[in-house]
Amino acid sequence: MTNHWRDIRHADLILINGGNPAEAHPVGFRWFMKAKLERGAKMIHVDPRFTRTSAVSDLHLRIRTGSDAAFFGGLIKYVLDNKLFHDEYVRRYTNAAFVVDKGYSFKDGMFNGFDEETNAYDATTWKYEPLPGADASQQSPKGLGAGAKAATGLTWSAGPSATLARLDIEHPRSVLNLMRKHYSRYTPEMVERITGIPRAQFLKVAKMIGEMGRPDKVMTQVYAVGLTHHTTGSQMIRSAAVLQLLLGNIGRPGGGMNAERGHANIQGNTDNAISWEVLPGYLKVPAPGQRTVADYFEQSAPKKAHPNALNYFGTNYGKFLISLLKTWYGDKATKSNEYAFDHLPKPAGNSSWITIFDQALQGKMEGVMLSGMTASSIGPDSNQVQKALGKLKWLCVMDSLPTTSSEFWHAPGVDPSKIDTEVFVLPATHWIEKEGSFTNSGRWLQWKDQVLPPQHESRHDHWILADLFLRVRELYRAEGGKFPDPIMDLTFPYRDPAKPAFDEIAKEVNGKDLKSGKRLETFADLADDGSTSAGNWIYTGSYPESGNMMKRRNGVQDPKRNDPTGMGYYPEWAWAWPLNRRVLYNRASADPSGKPWDPERPGIKWDAAQKLWVGDVPDYPPDADPADPASPLPFIMTGEGVGRLFSNGLADGPFPEHYEPIESPVKNPLHPEVSASPAAFLYDKAAGRPSRFGTVDEFPYVATSYRLTEHEHYVTQHVERLVKLQPEAFVEIPAELAGEKGIDTGDMVRVWSKRGKLEVRAVVTKRLGPLTIDGHKVYQIGIPIHWGYVGIKTGQHWLANALTPFVGDATVRTPEFKSFLVNLEKI
Amino acid sequence: MTAFADVQHFAGDPEWTWYILFYFFLAGLAGGAYFLATLLRHWGTPADEPLARLGMYVAFPATLICPLLLTIDLTKPLRFWHMLVNTTPGGFGLNFKIWSPMSVGVWALLVVSLFTIVSFLDALARDGKLRAPLAGVVAVGGTKAWNVVGSVFWLFIASYTGVLLAVSNQPVWSDTWALGGLFLASGLSGAAALLLLLSRYRRGAEASHPVLEVAERLFTALEVLLLAVFVITLIPDGTLDDAFGMPWLLLWLVALAGLLPGLRGLAVGRLSVTGGGAVAAARVSASAMAPALVLLGVLALRAAVIFSVQG
Amino acid sequence: MATTEITPGKAYGFFTDTSVCIGCKACEVACKEWNQLPEDEDEIGFLGKSLDNTGELNGSNWRHVQFIDNVPDETLSEGDGSAFLLMSDVCKHCKHASCLEVCPTGAIIRTEFDTVYIQEETCNGCRNCIAACPYDVIDINPGKNVAQKCTLCYDRLQGGLQPACAKVCPTESIQFGPLDELRAKAKKREADLHAQGLKQANLYGHDDKVYGGLNAFFLLMDKPEAYKLPNAASAVLPSRNNIGGYLGGAVTAVLGLLGTVIALRERRRHGGEPSEPAEDAQA
Ligand SMILES: Nc1nc2c(c(=O)[nH]1)N[C@H]1C(S)=C(S)[C@@H](COP(=O)(O)OP(=O)(O)OC[C@H]3O[C@@H](n4cnc5c(=O)[nH]c(N)nc54)[C@H](O)[C@@H]3O)O[C@H]1N2
Ligand SMILES: Nc1nc2c(c(=O)[nH]1)N[C@H]1C(S)=C(S)[C@@H](COP(=O)(O)OP(=O)(O)OC[C@H]3O[C@@H](n4cnc5c(=O)[nH]c(N)nc54)[C@H](O)[C@@H]3O)O[C@H]1N2
Ligand code: SF4
Ligand code: SF4
Ligand code: SF4
Ligand code: SF4
Ligand code: SF4
Ligand SMILES: [Mo]
Repeated sequence: MTNHWRDIRHADLILINGGNPAEAHPVGFRWFMKAKLERGAKMIHVDPRFTRTSAVSDLHLRIRTGSDAAFFGGLIKYVLDNKLFHDEYVRRYTNAAFVVDKGYSFKDGMFNGFDEETNAYDATTWKYEPLPGADASQQSPKGLGAGAKAATGLTWSAGPSATLARLDIEHPRSVLNLMRKHYSRYTPEMVERITGIPRAQFLKVAKMIGEMGRPDKVMTQVYAVGLTHHTTGSQMIRSAAVLQLLLGNIGRPGGGMNAERGHANIQGNTDNAISWEVLPGYLKVPAPGQRTVADYFEQSAPKKAHPNALNYFGTNYGKFLISLLKTWYGDKATKSNEYAFDHLPKPAGNSSWITIFDQALQGKMEGVMLSGMTASSIGPDSNQVQKALGKLKWLCVMDSLPTTSSEFWHAPGVDPSKIDTEVFVLPATHWIEKEGSFTNSGRWLQWKDQVLPPQHESRHDHWILADLFLRVRELYRAEGGKFPDPIMDLTFPYRDPAKPAFDEIAKEVNGKDLKSGKRLETFADLADDGSTSAGNWIYTGSYPESGNMMKRRNGVQDPKRNDPTGMGYYPEWAWAWPLNRRVLYNRASADPSGKPWDPERPGIKWDAAQKLWVGDVPDYPPDADPADPASPLPFIMTGEGVGRLFSNGLADGPFPEHYEPIESPVKNPLHPEVSASPAAFLYDKAAGRPSRFGTVDEFPYVATSYRLTEHEHYVTQHVERLVKLQPEAFVEIPAELAGEKGIDTGDMVRVWSKRGKLEVRAVVTKRLGPLTIDGHKVYQIGIPIHWGYVGIKTGQHWLANALTPFVGDATVRTPEFKSFLVNLEKI
Repeated sequence: MTAFADVQHFAGDPEWTWYILFYFFLAGLAGGAYFLATLLRHWGTPADEPLARLGMYVAFPATLICPLLLTIDLTKPLRFWHMLVNTTPGGFGLNFKIWSPMSVGVWALLVVSLFTIVSFLDALARDGKLRAPLAGVVAVGGTKAWNVVGSVFWLFIASYTGVLLAVSNQPVWSDTWALGGLFLASGLSGAAALLLLLSRYRRGAEASHPVLEVAERLFTALEVLLLAVFVITLIPDGTLDDAFGMPWLLLWLVALAGLLPGLRGLAVGRLSVTGGGAVAAARVSASAMAPALVLLGVLALRAAVIFSVQG
Repeated sequence: MATTEITPGKAYGFFTDTSVCIGCKACEVACKEWNQLPEDEDEIGFLGKSLDNTGELNGSNWRHVQFIDNVPDETLSEGDGSAFLLMSDVCKHCKHASCLEVCPTGAIIRTEFDTVYIQEETCNGCRNCIAACPYDVIDINPGKNVAQKCTLCYDRLQGGLQPACAKVCPTESIQFGPLDELRAKAKKREADLHAQGLKQANLYGHDDKVYGGLNAFFLLMDKPEAYKLPNAASAVLPSRNNIGGYLGGAVTAVLGLLGTVIALRERRRHGGEPSEPAEDAQA
């Protein structure tokens, strides 16, 4: 979230698109209801199904799964055509005026820079036209006073190499004009053809949303995996972000792009490099060919593209990396060895989650350790995943309970004698059995207590891993090896190396000044000369010398004292990254002169008397006088200094474009020849396996999969109360379709895709219904994900993911769980 | 409530089933029997005494079985006495709640048992089955006052069972005030039939047949009247079909069949009575079927009322 | 919404605002956990009543979330808490309580918090209250074998804690508090909804029209009947039938007496009197 849960109550309009918060985030949802109850906010839920969220929304729009990019595209066009965008915001706070390089092109669904060989774009070809004869260092703003640094840790300093862009909003190739051209195709008619939302209804909603471009109005865009679980997931989300930038809603209380995260600490996972392509704090993983930190820095760090861009991230990238290396390799990380930069892997290939199963399928994987995730149930294409697990030499499951992965070898229909995989189960403590910090969707690091002592012989994951590490290191010591240094050099500075304490780790992550040994207050004090350490720069400040900020609990018990601004920031409740900032990009909540766009809902404002920005912790140098023409642009982390309407951050295009799901009932009405995303990676094809995708004539119905309030994925199949609330696997079937097939609620039905089948109960409902897509009547079927062959109610072995396709998003490889084709019959 | 506005019922059913059915059945018959016995003994002729005693004998077992049925119907049978004694912490004394037919009924049942047992012993004494001094003590059980009071309580028991159902929020039951009367009427006709049936086993009892037969006809007429009232009272509440829908209609047909003998009697003989003695004795055996049918009707009527609502 | 002070002698209750209920069932589970209610084995199973598999209020479910699915088959529909009715049902703690009226053992009492409470140790399971409750609230608890229902967390109130269900409700659909405060809140909420054009919003049981007022009252988004709540006209007490019932019985008794007397007279008239006294009939 750019904002946070509590902030949602400041919204005038809540657009929930790709999420079902009433069911998946019921407690956070209180703030949605408060917005309705206390300020009469309107709530729009765009979802293929009418859900418990729709029940309390003002409007529910039935949309076809996988078509949101078209929906947002239509809104963007509507906002541009009708000049409803926040004009000053767009001119001053976005890259609308940046002129794009002449190499840019978009034709028949293809952007420039596509490589037929690798089926991938070269994103570096999506760039700005350089400003002729510009020298960045001259134009870059000069340093600020120490006061600033203490307050937020921000100082101005010129970035390294900069390529300043040409600015001219009237230019035919200005981002704004290219956008107008790009989205001109997303007419209400086109939106109707793609999404199934009738033109009139689309326009009704577009009108409500368009009004949110007024400076005194603000809309929050809330989403979760309803947008991410697509081959075009990242672009769907970007299209929503582009809309929010146009409406001037980013950085403002009650606005923002708000991703409701999943597991209670999935945000913490992401911040700390759970996904393969980043290091802690979203530093890029080094790439082959990067010999020195300088190479890495040059290729990874954002570049300054505007004279008034602070480019804070780009400028300090090196400090963050080197402090990380100092944390990992301590004295072994020296200037002479590039701070042990070479100890970091430089993966040539993708190592995301589907890729791991793909490698296993190809027999290229010897063993897998699963900790806190159930490969078989997660999918996609569970049958193929289980086949992959069966090809491993060994599988080690660290979990507090049996899972469909620890038990896959004797799953229903599986002959154990045919499975050679050796399965180890290491009883790990469940998160309720340990203390530590959870980072929530709003980026708050909240320390929690242990609820239960560890049960039986279960051990904390990090103890299991520490023990494992010590044994592996011992083996290296004894027997040597090809490249022992990364293992041998690793620091392990814990009182009991076999049992690191969470408190020790939290301090290590915060980082310290290596000379004084004192823990740091802010990442601004990190240095690139090896004099500081930080396990994750964005967490620096969470555990300074003054104590564990994550444990702070000064909240509603005394609003007067604890919420001085009255805006609900509660700065002394836990700690939010970065630097306890509650709303990101909050400089954009005020106009160029420093006055809040809406005085009712200020983020930060310029206090001329104090010559300081006041309110939330400013996402900006706190004493940068707006009157000073050289003062930095509001988005201090980007090279442009502004929000990006045009960006080369994603692998499948600089502007979001609608592509059909891999399994789609229709050809893409925009460009039938390039129907699905050309950049989506097709594993089976690449590995020479036969295609596992179905076609609409075999599989006439669109299916989507999702959660129910009553269960937490698969684990709650062990919880009697919850099993009682939702005791049995079922699918939701549109009443009209059920009528055609003579299906009643409670009947057993068979749902099957090219990959697998379910035989479960039917729930017949009008909450799902037909849509007319490009002239064809399309039914959508709803598939809750929660059941498997493990749990207290046995005999139910249907994995929703038996149906889902083995393919992922072009950029982040998130599987397409949310739209695929199936067939249906009554049993 | 406003007439002809359908009343909405959402109450759940109490699962009062077989035990309760037979309690109602026995209560009705015993009540009628004691009542008829009393009248024949004190307002009939000495020749009616045999049947009077028969009536007292018939009423007796009910005083043992009815409380038993009520008790085993409880989900906590050992707490039967909680009906009588206030067990609320801090509270004390006896439970008597005038608005709760169940509370009132339990007390009535207690009292009536006392009266019936004594009358029963008195009957035994009169039949020479008890010797003095006990016989002297229980003689009170045959006195006019004793039997009249006993009868009044029995009439109450026979009818409150209907009120018990009515004082609820169940469909049908709570939509009418006729159930108390209906149950009493059918109890009386059932009792007359039962005594007719049993009198064959007691010498001299046939002397009272004429009375029983005519009474039977009149009770039937009374029952028909109350059935009509019952039906009419259900109309405004729109619960007629709850009561008379299938399969309950079949039970109702049996209940109606139970009225046939009485109605036939009215039609054919009106109130005329052919002398008792031998003639009657002859007819008794012939008409053994008729009383049996009446009794079945009495059971079916209660079954229909109880199960149609809870079924 | 935590109420700071819970003082005996004051009337407490629930204002359940169905317009903000999200059907999460946290209230159901919290109630079962706090009261350690048994799972009724033969009740575990798929009902598929929309998203409801609990089915009803009973001895082991003292809160039950109703799902009433009236969603129109439309690509655009207005939720507004009316299309998909979600309502957390519970004992209404009626001012004039049908159950309390008929209970023969006095097991059902009105507590110092003005709530209706069944004393577990006193109840003997006669089930008269079940026949009486117009809301199908009470049932026999399979574990304890006595009639049970929502206690309005009598034990928690005595300990100064708000009821478990209200505490967990994420949207404040269940609001606990002193009755007068709740009623004021409810009026305001109803007015707000009407102002927003949601005219169908209506309060049920907040005033004395229904059983003299319900301590657990509701804001509904449809007619009461839609939620299995009898409308004001149908909200009547069992005792309404006492007099009528007994009178009917009495009249019948008199007519029965009359009938028997007639029968005796008829016999005399037709000289059907037995000539010689029957054997051993000592006068
Ligand atoms: N009760 C419960 N809560 C949970 C979880 C749980 O298992 N149970 N899991 C947690 C986790 S890990 C996560 S990631 C979050 C996920 O939170 P959500 O994303 O809210 O959960 P989902 O139910 O997967 O999907 C949300 C909605 O997306 C809709 N949808 C499907 N396809 C599309 C589409 O193409 N466009 C649009 N606009 N909508 C679409 C579905 O109908 C569904 O209603 O929930 C978290 N919270
Ligand atoms: N078709 C379809 N598939 C989906 C989705 C979908 O929407 N549709 N959603 C996807 C998403 S977003 C997610 S997040 C996944 C969820 O998939 P999973 O994460 O596999 O689901 P959970 O049941 O939450 O599994 C968590 C496991 O972690 C264990 N656990 C809990 N605490 C600890 C701990 O401290 N240590 C260890 N070692 N184990 C612990 C639990 O016992 C449980 O077995 O499913 C994905 N799969
Ligand atoms: S499960 Fe936990 S994280 Fe999810 S909504 Fe409930 S309280 Fe919040
Ligand atoms: S709702 Fe039913 S159980 Fe609750 S007080 Fe009223 S009558 Fe009694
Ligand atoms: S079942 Fe218990 S609470 Fe209900 S009426 Fe009988 S004794 Fe009273
Ligand atoms: S008040 Fe207590 S007993 Fe009543 S429903 Fe709520 S939690 Fe259950
Ligand atoms: S907890 Fe609140 S929101 Fe959830 S179902 Fe119960 S009443 Fe509704
Ligand atoms: Mo997730």
